[in-house]
Amino acid sequence: MKKILFIFSTFLLFCSFSSENTPNIKSGEKLVFAGSYNMSGLMTQLAQITMTTETVTTAKNTYLHLNCEAATYSKWDSFFKIRDLYESYVNPLTLKPSLYKRSIDEGGYTKKEKYVFKGNQINSTMKRKNKPETQKTFSVGGATQDVVSILYKLRTVDFSKYKVGQTKAFTIVFDESEIPVVVKFMGNETVSAGNLGKKECYKISIGAKTDALRGKDKNLIWLTADAKKIPALIKFSIPVGTGQLTLTSATGI
Amino acid sequence: MRKILIITATIFCLLGIVFTILPMGTIAIIPIGLALLVAFLAFKKSDGKQQNFPKIVLFVTGICILLVIGKELFIKDEIAKDAGFEKTKIENKKEDKKELEALESDLE
Repeated sequence: MKKILFIFSTFLLFCSFSSENTPNIKSGEKLVFAGSYNMSGLMTQLAQITMTTETVTTAKNTYLHLNCEAATYSKWDSFFKIRDLYESYVNPLTLKPSLYKRSIDEGGYTKKEKYVFKGNQINSTMKRKNKPETQKTFSVGGATQDVVSILYKLRTVDFSKYKVGQTKAFTIVFDESEIPVVVKFMGNETVSAGNLGKKECYKISIGAKTDALRGKDKNLIWLTADAKKIPALIKFSIPVGTGQLTLTSATGI
Repeated sequence: MRKILIITATIFCLLGIVFTILPMGTIAIIPIGLALLVAFLAFKKSDGKQQNFPKIVLFVTGICILLVIGKELFIKDEIAKDAGFEKTKIENKKEDKKELEALESDLE
């Protein structure tokens, strides 16, 4: 169970990073990934990860709702059912988060988290299965992102201007603490990008000061080397093993 | 030697059956392949009626292989419709909107 939680959390975590340009994230975008885990040297498909964007309007503001959900394939549901939901409501122009929510249900283990961003302060609420709800208020930097919005931020970075080996530092908030993240541009590679066909991509290595990620340059993300910068392939190495997410479908881009 | 081969073949065969039942995909081929190999060796080492058990193991592993291939070819990876999960998502959206409006009021 924790493996799956780790994989999905790690996916969101290491997909993180920052921006330099005007965001090119459109409402109505839908990216579908097949999540695989390395079992005895063979990649076994376990779950589908779906990332969607949607405009949400309140009486005073407009937000971009970034939704990321993971669900095990039906053949696994009888053995180990996962239904995870990661959400972030961000400013459509700056991608600065206002509200982040995480709701996981993995083989019966449940956990709910909510972060409300009030300037440089976060009011967090956490509820684990069979445990009382806890609340906490903590300070973060002005550029701190949550694990969902940071993935979209990464897509606004202009990697075409980066030299191989060039790095950039970022900060994300995860499990009620700030985590420094370093992104390293590793060059261009062509990979399969689902319905988009074979695409030239920016290969980026993700390093975070957390136990969730293992190895140097073993957590990688390939973003299509175009204006959209769609994540085509993600490889991760975590304490309990390795896995990957491959893009199967990208629509509304 | 023959006994060791039969015991090993039986263990791999049982593992193969378990992996075939579980949605492990082509990973099941590993124990099944090993069971086939060892059962074949046991068959060669056996005479007359002694060949019956290795034959059974070969037969069972053969069926397992067909099942694994069949599952790979005909069962597609898809997500089951989950009414509970969909309901949670809709309820979340309503709650989130209220939460955002409360945040906007606080920040004013």
